[in-house]
Amino acid sequence: MATVVAVVVLGGVVGPVLVWLLAVLLPAAAARVLPGLLRTSALLALPIAVSAAIVNILFTPGGETVLVELGPLRVTGEGVSVAVEVVVRVLVMAGAVTLYYLATRPAELVASLQAHGFPARTTFVIHNAVAMIPRLAERAGEVTEAQRARGLDSEGSLRRRLRGVTAVAGPTVSGAIGEAETRALALEMRGFTRPGRHTLLWAPVDRGSQRAARWVMVTTVAVLVALRLAGWTAPW
Amino acid sequence: MDVELQDVHFAYPGGPPVLDGVGLRIPNGRSVALMGPNGSGKTTLARHLDGLLRPTRGRVLLDGRDIAGRRVADLAASVAVGFQDPDRQVFSRRVRDEVAFGPRQLGFSAERRDAAVAAALDATGLADDIDVHPHDLGGARRKLLAIASLLAMQTPVLVLDEPTVGLGAAGVTRVQRIVAQLVAEGRTVIAISHESRFVAESFERVVLLAQGRVVMDGSPADVFAEASWPLVRSAGLEPPAAAILGARLGLGSTPTEAALLASAAAAGRARVP
Amino acid sequence: MLSLRGVSYRYPGAALDSLHDVSLELPGGTITGLLGAPESGLSTVCMVLGGLAPRVIGGTLRGESSIDGQDVRGWPMHRLCESVVLGLGQPAGQLSMVAATVYEEVAFGPANLGLSRSEVMARTEQALEQLAIHDLASRDPGRLSGGQQQLVALAGLLAMRARHLILDEPVAALDAHGRTLALAALAAAAAGGAAVLVATQHSDLVASICSSVALLTGGRVMRQGPPGEVLADPATWALGIAEPAEQRLARLLGDIGDGR
Repeated sequence: MATVVAVVVLGGVVGPVLVWLLAVLLPAAAARVLPGLLRTSALLALPIAVSAAIVNILFTPGGETVLVELGPLRVTGEGVSVAVEVVVRVLVMAGAVTLYYLATRPAELVASLQAHGFPARTTFVIHNAVAMIPRLAERAGEVTEAQRARGLDSEGSLRRRLRGVTAVAGPTVSGAIGEAETRALALEMRGFTRPGRHTLLWAPVDRGSQRAARWVMVTTVAVLVALRLAGWTAPW
Repeated sequence: MDVELQDVHFAYPGGPPVLDGVGLRIPNGRSVALMGPNGSGKTTLARHLDGLLRPTRGRVLLDGRDIAGRRVADLAASVAVGFQDPDRQVFSRRVRDEVAFGPRQLGFSAERRDAAVAAALDATGLADDIDVHPHDLGGARRKLLAIASLLAMQTPVLVLDEPTVGLGAAGVTRVQRIVAQLVAEGRTVIAISHESRFVAESFERVVLLAQGRVVMDGSPADVFAEASWPLVRSAGLEPPAAAILGARLGLGSTPTEAALLASAAAAGRARVP
Repeated sequence: MLSLRGVSYRYPGAALDSLHDVSLELPGGTITGLLGAPESGLSTVCMVLGGLAPRVIGGTLRGESSIDGQDVRGWPMHRLCESVVLGLGQPAGQLSMVAATVYEEVAFGPANLGLSRSEVMARTEQALEQLAIHDLASRDPGRLSGGQQQLVALAGLLAMRARHLILDEPVAALDAHGRTLALAALAAAAAGGAAVLVATQHSDLVASICSSVALLTGGRVMRQGPPGEVLADPATWALGIAEPAEQRLARLLGDIGDGR
């Protein structure tokens, strides 16, 4: 979260790139999810980045250093630099979001919440939502396979493939919901929503370094926001 | 339609081999049961028959032609493969539409489609549920619905995955009748099953898979003969009760009820010791 | 002892009752079988016994439901689950998805009960041993085969050491070996004083472990008695339940012997 805000606030290119390195790539490498992170965040960022880049390159107002002229469209130096800024920001944001998703395991999230005294029912709801995401993806794959075996054309024209979406979306969602319902019942039966203390097998690690890191992030963001509001812009 | 697997190997990327050199030939119009412990590769094998999975080595042939390079959607017109969990594929709001889905994908004419749907619903006993929402059917009838959807595709080869699990006595009888009917029509039926009684009574050939290989391939009388019981049991399966009782009475291999009763009557040994 | 007396239940939004005037007694130290054809109401009875119906899924319940004479209809779910645990049909749906390893999955129930850490671990270890799945302890539960998941789910329920254990088709996905282990574990639970109910479509399952069998059809309990009697009654096989193969064959052989 802090990363996202920082990136928005920091202007220019170098700032965000530094943030990317420190707050996204480094932790990702430490958590050993770097390749997955790069792949997923690139996919996430790609559509936005591309369209943002095009818009900015071609349509930035007030550009003076004209690089190329393509009929009525002008590619300006300013446009390019704005585009680069935007792309970097998008990449960093996508990276931050992906990092969060990849590095957090549902089990730890839930244990963490319980340790911090969140009410059982809230933890329950959050857990269900989080656990559902990978299951949905898995299930979509299973359902697609079953429908293909009945002749659903997943390799044909785009229109045919679009028509096939209902055949896959329906059972994926209803099945996932059905499974989630059963799971919710099973969890109730095993005391998940019991008020009072739940024993923790292992305390979620909240080392001093993590707490310190949190403080640093929050303070940095606060400082940056304050400076920005005061009209300061980064010299790079 | 003849189905053949030639030295088929398969492993998921980065994983251990699931199929380790499977060779199998199923001539047209035969009924074959695939049995084996969990992880032996039965379901993986089934998915190779319509191209959902492609061998990492070896070939899959239909009527002598390699299916490599042919699309699953096209192969579905020849080989209909079912899945164990009906909720994986059932999505329509009415039984009628669910069963019509396959025929529709395969491009049947409206007439042919309606006839196929009606016949499939009759065979599975769901004719009265034609406009019911699949959700409102119990687990057993939903399972039969999944089978009906495959039947309606009218393919020369039908592959079923654990078709009798969760069905009561009446449901199992229906499935047995369906298998018999398909064979009578000259279609090939392949079923994955762990229920020895169902297999012995309805299939002429049993293929036992273990660790990705065919370890036994023969008639129920051969596969469930006493000499084979150690192998069968090591696969986590139990021989049919008829076979066990027949062995106890010294009647030789009697995998089915009919075989047991006939042998017992012939041998004049009818009282159970 | 968990008992239902004259219980009728209707699902929310349904036009008709699913259970009609059901009475069942589950004394501690016994394994009772509930035998019925598909759609006879097996799962519904389990949900009522386990307290999920009507507390969590809604619907209307009429009649008496009590534990050791105490009316439990007003008890909230979390109080009930200290005495009753319910195992639902599909193993995949039973897994919590909150546990990274099988060990944590099995420990989940005891941990939720707020027991001491050593107690949680002791119960977990015992359940894993009983079902011989100790070698799966560090595996990801989501990546196991159906049969393995069913064993893990059962271990998770056993670890809670509830006085009443309601199980809906507990051995359906297991092979012969897994089945033997599971049934031994249930027998051990009963020997330890628990009241166990096994709801199933499979008559051979009840024949092997139950001291009493209740026949369910159309949401009604037709009769209840020792397996020897209930399974020998031809009327049982008219209800859409399959007769155990050995029994049927022995009967038919006997018919031949008698010249029929």
